Amino acid sequence: MPTAILLDISLSMSRPIPIPDSTENITRLTLASAAINTFLDYLSVHAKLEYVALVTFSSMYEVAVPFTRDYESIKVKLPQLEEGDKTCIETALLGVNQLILGEWGYQTLVQTILITDGSCGAGAIGRNRIIQALPLPPSFPSKIHVLPIVSPHDSSLQHAMPLYQKIVDLAGNTANNSTGSINRGAIYCPDQLSVSGVVSTMNKLCEQQYQEFWCTLKCGKLETRVQLFPAPQPASHEGLAATYTISNQIHVIGFLQQQDLGTPIAISKHLIIPQAQSGNNTTNRENFGSKTPTKEGSSTEGTTTDEDMSDPSKVPNFCVLLHGALKVEGMAAIVQLGPDWWGTVSAWCEASRARRSCLLLGVLRPGASAAPWLGALDQLGPADDATTTEAFPVRSWRSYSGGGSGCAWARPHALLADVQKVLRHARKLPDKTQHLYKELNRLRRAAISLGFSELLTCVGSALERECASLPSSAPPECALQLAHAAAALRDPRTALDIKHTLQPLATNFTVTSMSH
Amino acid sequence: MFPTNHKTIFVLDHTPYFGISSDNPIDFDVSKSRGPGYVPLPPVCKSLWTCSVEAAVEYCRIVWDLFPEGKLIRFVVSDSAAHILNTWAVAQQNLTHILNGLCLVGPVRRGAGGDVVGLCAAIEALGEPSPAQSSRPTTERHFQNRGRIICITSARDDDSIRSLAEIALNALVQQNKKASLVQPSSSTEASANPESLVVHHCHLVIVNVTPEKAETRVNNQPLTEMGSGLMSVEVIVSRASALANLLGRLVLPHYKLAITTVTGIPMKEEQNASSSANYDVEIIHAAEAHAGLRAAQTAAEALESVVLRWWTPRGAEGGAGSCSGPLWRVTPADVASRPSACLVNFLLNGRSVTLEVPRKGGGRAASHVLAAQGGELWIGALGGRAPYEDPPALSEGVGGRVTDYRIKEFGALMQQNKLHPLRGAGANSRARARLQRHTTYWPLTISSTLIFNLGSIMEPLTRLVVQESLTDEEVDACRGVLLSLLGMESRHELPSAQLPSNMRGKWSGRREEQWRQVWGELEALVRAHAAAPAHRALLRTLLDCRAHNHAPDGESRATVIRATTDSPLSPVGAGNGASNSDVWAPRNVLETLLGAPRPPRRPDFAGRMAAGNRIATLYPHLQQDVEAQH
Repeated sequence: MPTAILLDISLSMSRPIPIPDSTENITRLTLASAAINTFLDYLSVHAKLEYVALVTFSSMYEVAVPFTRDYESIKVKLPQLEEGDKTCIETALLGVNQLILGEWGYQTLVQTILITDGSCGAGAIGRNRIIQALPLPPSFPSKIHVLPIVSPHDSSLQHAMPLYQKIVDLAGNTANNSTGSINRGAIYCPDQLSVSGVVSTMNKLCEQQYQEFWCTLKCGKLETRVQLFPAPQPASHEGLAATYTISNQIHVIGFLQQQDLGTPIAISKHLIIPQAQSGNNTTNRENFGSKTPTKEGSSTEGTTTDEDMSDPSKVPNFCVLLHGALKVEGMAAIVQLGPDWWGTVSAWCEASRARRSCLLLGVLRPGASAAPWLGALDQLGPADDATTTEAFPVRSWRSYSGGGSGCAWARPHALLADVQKVLRHARKLPDKTQHLYKELNRLRRAAISLGFSELLTCVGSALERECASLPSSAPPECALQLAHAAAALRDPRTALDIKHTLQPLATNFTVTSMSH
Repeated sequence: MFPTNHKTIFVLDHTPYFGISSDNPIDFDVSKSRGPGYVPLPPVCKSLWTCSVEAAVEYCRIVWDLFPEGKLIRFVVSDSAAHILNTWAVAQQNLTHILNGLCLVGPVRRGAGGDVVGLCAAIEALGEPSPAQSSRPTTERHFQNRGRIICITSARDDDSIRSLAEIALNALVQQNKKASLVQPSSSTEASANPESLVVHHCHLVIVNVTPEKAETRVNNQPLTEMGSGLMSVEVIVSRASALANLLGRLVLPHYKLAITTVTGIPMKEEQNASSSANYDVEIIHAAEAHAGLRAAQTAAEALESVVLRWWTPRGAEGGAGSCSGPLWRVTPADVASRPSACLVNFLLNGRSVTLEVPRKGGGRAASHVLAAQGGELWIGALGGRAPYEDPPALSEGVGGRVTDYRIKEFGALMQQNKLHPLRGAGANSRARARLQRHTTYWPLTISSTLIFNLGSIMEPLTRLVVQESLTDEEVDACRGVLLSLLGMESRHELPSAQLPSNMRGKWSGRREEQWRQVWGELEALVRAHAAAPAHRALLRTLLDCRAHNHAPDGESRATVIRATTDSPLSPVGAGNGASNSDVWAPRNVLETLLGAPRPPRRPDFAGRMAAGNRIATLYPHLQQDVEAQH
C-alpha cells in the first residue's frame, strides 16, 4: 500500500531542542527528517516496492515529492525544505486526499504518516472546529498514523491528543468498504524528544504497520518461499461471518484455463516474489537420490557449481518455472489461502511492459462462491477418467432474467410487443399455427400468474376479429384455428387453469389437401 | 451481520377492492391503418392486483439478479386468510416459484378480509430464521435479526393506515415476547432449531395504491420510529400505474444500488440494416461501482444520475481482466426493452465494452468496463494505479537466470491436474493429493535430470508411476522399460545418445556415471511412490536391476531376468549376491559428474547380512521392546 508522508513544516517545527552537552543545533524538523530517513531505510530493506510521497504543509500544502519508489529523491529533498507559517492540518489532509485520489483511485488502501509538532495550533474551541472541518473519512480506504515530534509530557500534546485520535479513528471509517474493514492507524509518541527517541518510535511504527508478508507457495511436493506484495490485509466485511487471514502456506489445488477462470471477484491482488532459500541448498545437495528427493523447490543438482550458489538468480526456483508454464499454457492456478478461502495465481504483465511479466495472486472474496461460473470452489477437483464432468462455465440453476424469461409487463411497451407477436402469428396461419399456440400459452401463463384475465379476454376478441377479417381466399383451417383459440381463451372452465395448455385444433383439412 | 435487506417480505392485498380497474387504459390497436369497417379493440386496464403483483415481481427480479444469495424475499398474499407463497429456503427464492404460487392464488375473488392477517403473518415470518441465520452456531446467536415488510394495500384514510401500523407493532411486540420466552429454555436443549427469533428491527413500508382518478385521503408519511426503535414506518401513496416505477426506485436505497445510463449504444435497425441509431440503456448495479466517480465529483454533481458513454470496442479488449478492483453484478432496469436485450446479448456473447465519462472539453477517460462471465453481467470500475504495478523483473529475481526450466513438462503436468467442477465434498483434497503424487520426484531443470529427457525410452514408466495404483499389466510395462534399459547398458550404449541432439553435449560424463545417474534417478522416482504394493514390487525390481548395474557383465543376467519376471512378492535381493549393491548409498549428481572415486564396495547393511536370503527386518528390537513392555 502506498504511503504519503505528511510533514509539518510550520514555524514551530523549527524550534530548537535543548541538548545539554552539545552545540549542535537540533530542531524538531531535524528529528522529523531523521524519522523519515529511518522509515525510508526500513522500506528499502523490507518493502522496496512501496510507493512513497512527501507532502509538506503549514497553512498551505505542497507535494514535495510525488509517489515514487526512488527513496533517495525524498532523502535529498528533506534538507531543502523551507519552513512555513502555521500548522493547518485540515488543509493538509484535504490536499493529501486529492493527491491520493488522483493517483491511486478509490480502491487502493493508502497509508498516511502525519508528522507534526504535537500542538494543534488552536485552543479548545479552535480544536473542535478543526475536528469538525476534517475532510475525513476519505472516499478511499485509508489509514493515518500520527507521529508528533514532542516530548511526552508536553501539555500541548495532551491538548492535541483528541484531535489526533479523531483523525486516526475517522480515517478508518472509510465509506468505501469494498475491500473490507481495515485496522485503524495509531498514534506513535516518542518517549523522549531526541534523535534516538524519534528513530525508535519510527521503527516501532514500521514494524507494526509495514510488516512484510512471507509465506510458502506449495504445489504438491514443490515449494518455495515467497513474499506477497503489497502485504495482504485480513478480509472481513458485513457479509462475512468472521475475519479471514491468509495462512502462511498457500497450496496450489490445480490449474484452469485462463478463459475458463475469467475474472473472479478479487478483493486484492498481490505480487508473488520468490525469495532466495538460504541454508536449504546444502541439505538439498546431499539429498539427491536418497529417500527424500527434491523436497525443496530449488533442487540444485546438475551443472551448478559452488560459485553459482552465491548468486540466487542462478538457483532454480519453482516460482519462475510456474510463471513460465502458466504463461505458455495460458492457464492459471487455483490456490487455497486458508479454510474456505481461495485465490488465483496467474502470469500477469502490464500492457505497456509486455516483457516484464510476473506472478500475480488474486485474493478472492472468502467463501466458496467467489466465482459462480466455476461452481463451488470447494468442489473443484481432478477429473477421473471414468466420470464425465460438467464443463465451465457452470450455469447457475437460477436463470438470469437478462436472458428474457419473463413477463415484465410493468412497462406497457413490453405488453404491447407480446400481444403484437401473437397477432402477427395469427395473420400468418396456417404456417404459424404452432408458433401461435406457443405464444398464446406463454401469454396465458404470464397473465394467469399476474391475475390479468382482462388481457386474455381482449386477446380472444382480437383473434375473433382477425378471423372475421380473413380474406375469402384464406384456407378454411385459418378460421377454424382462430375461432378455436379465441374460444379456448375464454372458456370459463379452463381459461384460468395454469395446468391447462392450449392445443391446436386437430383438423383433417391438411390431410385432404395433401392427397390432391 | 445480517442487514435489514437480508429478509424482505411483500404483503400483497388480495381483497375485493384490488379487483377494480387501475383506470389506466392500454391500447393494443397501434396500427390504425387496417382499412374501413375495422372494429377497434377496446383498450385494456390492469386491475390493482395485477399492478401490484407485477411491481413486486419486478422488485424481486432486480434483487435476485444482483444477489444470487443472501438477499431473501418472501410473499404473503392476504385476503380472508394469509397465503404464504414461499419460505426462506433457498430453493424457493426464485421468480418461477413465486409466479407458480401466484397462479394458484389466482385473481381477486369476492369475500371479506383485510390486510391485517397478511401483515401479522409477515411479522411471524420475520421471526423465522433464514438458512444463513439458523446455520450460525448457537454461541453466535447474538446477531441482529432485522427485516423489511413492504405492504401494498389501499386504505381509506391516514387513520386506517395508522391503525394498520399499530396492529403491526403490536403483533411484533407479542411475537418478540413469545420468542424471548422460548429462547432461554431452548438454549439448553433443542436450541439447534429454535422456533423463532426476536425481531430487533422492522422497516415497514406501506404503499397505498389507488386507481388513476380516485380520490385518496391518505398522505405520504416520512420514516417515523415506533415502539422505541423497534419499527420504523413509511407511507407512500401511489397510483397503480406508477407502482412499478415506485418500487423500481425503492429497491435502490433498500439494497444500496445505483443506476447507470449507458448512452450512445449504436444498434442496427431492423428495417434499415445499413445505418445504426444510438440508444440508451439503463442498468442497475451496486452503488459502490460509482464510488470512484462520486469521489471526484462535487456535492451538486453527485446528486445527478450517472450517464456513461459507450466506447465502441476495438478488436480484442481486455474484458473485465483490465479492471483491478472488484466487480459487481449488473441487471438491466427495463428487461423487456429491445435495446436492453441487444446490450445483454452483446455482452453474453463474450464481448466486453468500456464506458467513458462524457466530457465537454474533449479528452476521453475510461471509467468502467461491462462484461459477461458465466452467463451473468458484471461491471467493474477502472482507473487509479495499482500498488503492484511496475513489478521487478522475474529475470532479475531468484532463479531468474536459469534458462533450462522444464516448462513444457510442467505445462503437461498442469494439463493433467486441471480442475473440473465436481459434486460432493473432498474434491479439493483429492486434487491436492494428486498434485502431491505428480510432484514427488520432479526436477525443476532439464540439466538436473537425465531420465525425464530420455523421452520414449522411459515411456510408459514415468507416466504410469505417478498413478495412485498400478495394475499388473502396468507394472509389467514398467518392468519392460527397466529391462530395455538394462539391455542398453549391457550393450555399452550411452544413455545420452538417446537425448535430442541439442542436449547431448551437456552430458559428457563417463558411461558408467551416466548409467549410475539414470538408475539413481529412477530409484528416487519409484521410491517416492512406493506406498502402494504394486509400486513396491516395481521398486524391488528396480533395485535388482540397479544392483546388477555394477556387477560384472553377463554373470548374473539370468538372475536379473528372473527377478524382473518374478511375482511381486519375490523377496528383495533374492538370489542376487546382495553384496555389490550401492542402493543405500545415495550420491549427488555433482559428485557423480565430477567423477569422484568411491569405494567399489561397501559393507552391506548388517541386518541383511544376518538375514541371508530372507527379507531383512528393520529395527527388529523395536517389536521386542514393545512386547517387553506388556
